[in-house]
Amino acid sequence: MGFGQFLAAPELKLTIVTYRDIFQNSALEVSRFDEKYEELSAIIKLDPNDISKLVIKDGETVTVKSGAEKVVVKAQISGYEEKHEGVAYMVNSPWSNALISDNTHGTGVPSFKNFEVVVQSAKGEKVTGIKEIF
Amino acid sequence: MTDNYYVCPGCALLCDDIEVETEDNKITKMYTACMKGVARMKGCSSPLECTVEQEAADVDASIEKAAAILKDAKNPLIFGHGNSSSEAQKVAIEIAKRTGAYIDDTSSFCQGPIIEAILQEKLKTCTLDDVRDKADVTVFWGADPANSHPRHLSRYSYFPRGKERQRGWEEDRTLITVDIRKSDTSEIAGNSGFFQIPIKGDAEFMNALVDGLSSKVPKTSFNFDKKKILELSNTLKKAKFGVIGVGLGLLYSLEELEPLFALMDKLNSVSNFHIIPMVGQYNMRGFNHNLFEETGYINRVKFDIESGQAKHGAEYSVVEALKERSVDAALVIGSDPLSSLPLPVARYLADIPLIDIDPCQNLTATKANVTIPCALGGVESGGTAVRMDGVEIELKQIVETDKLSDKEVLTRIMEAL
Repeated sequence: MGFGQFLAAPELKLTIVTYRDIFQNSALEVSRFDEKYEELSAIIKLDPNDISKLVIKDGETVTVKSGAEKVVVKAQISGYEEKHEGVAYMVNSPWSNALISDNTHGTGVPSFKNFEVVVQSAKGEKVTGIKEIF
Repeated sequence: MTDNYYVCPGCALLCDDIEVETEDNKITKMYTACMKGVARMKGCSSPLECTVEQEAADVDASIEKAAAILKDAKNPLIFGHGNSSSEAQKVAIEIAKRTGAYIDDTSSFCQGPIIEAILQEKLKTCTLDDVRDKADVTVFWGADPANSHPRHLSRYSYFPRGKERQRGWEEDRTLITVDIRKSDTSEIAGNSGFFQIPIKGDAEFMNALVDGLSSKVPKTSFNFDKKKILELSNTLKKAKFGVIGVGLGLLYSLEELEPLFALMDKLNSVSNFHIIPMVGQYNMRGFNHNLFEETGYINRVKFDIESGQAKHGAEYSVVEALKERSVDAALVIGSDPLSSLPLPVARYLADIPLIDIDPCQNLTATKANVTIPCALGGVESGGTAVRMDGVEIELKQIVETDKLSDKEVLTRIMEAL
């Protein structure tokens, strides 16, 4: 038993940018309830330095929180050449939409491509299932 | 195209060169479509079942129940439409008029402002055929067609030989991407064609380009290399036929369209530039055209039940109407708002009487009081749709089905009202 187990996993505030992915979109056309769609959707792409700060490894799960909402998704190293510490990428999906505020400041357009979250290791936890998001 | 070719309803490119082989009323082989198109046209693995209160029902009973929900509601919402034929959309508008409903579509939180500006002739546009035949400079701004519209580059904007562009991408075309990350399309544009800007830096970068085009020193608060901006300004200035494909990355970043109007004005005083919205769903633009024709507005409409007059504004948008709990029932067609809306408003939508019409099982259907399957547009039923550039395209039925088309489902609901 190590002392580390009594320490809370570090939290990291990140800005999320959403994007489209042809493979995930094609999986959606087949069925949004298939494993393949979850596998390609429930992910967050992080800068390697942010992965280190979270004390996690590529492929482990993290909790992504925004206000009262949270989802558990898989963390992946983004693979982008440019460093992007503080910014993480999520593919447009029910998992990313779960974290978006409905406050549009009266415009009717939610902030789909630029919102703040808090990320923390969810070691051992499973990815949130699509039907559990609600 | 000839009789041997079909139109793909996978996205608003509406590629009209698709060849198929069929067996037992199923598409077994497809040629030329992208992977998204193939997945759409071959059909989903979990078709929607006909249900009332989550129990199996026949079509008559579910249509009757759907009509009863709409009749009982004081302020229903009719939402979706992006994956419906224009014929179905027109019936949906009639239902909204009859029931005094809110009517809106996904353009309300994506390409709406650009389509509105094009229909109001505030932005110069062109067709995708013009792009293929004439465009020598194409800019994708906040757009990644390699993922969202996989055949855009190969059919129209970069790789093909066009009438006035016989040397294709090797010599006759320049591809530019402006984005906050190096997307797959940016990889194709190469380092010289990729302009990486910070989040929310779009308006400032546009202003800097206007300065560059005006022979002024372009400055940005994020210290973008001035030489690179001047080089880009020069490329844009020299274009014989330029196009900007506007993506959601740009639209969500701009608080107002003024910087884009200013850039387009400047570009068209020194060069020749056109805008095409990178519309996602195959007939979202058709809905905007059809509602515009009927009401003068492209989306975000509430009909007065007595006078039939249309009111328009942000407060009638799907997100605001649900957030303010102004809606007391909803009919969703060809869309899955429980997947695509922010969770708090999606939860409210799931709590009110809800009707879902779609070919496939989706999240909205799991919470709906009534589900009605319809034929898959462009495969099991025909109809018309409007491509992302505003060109009307005829979709042919490819295989037979017992299912009603989206237009037939809505017409029967209308009759039952």
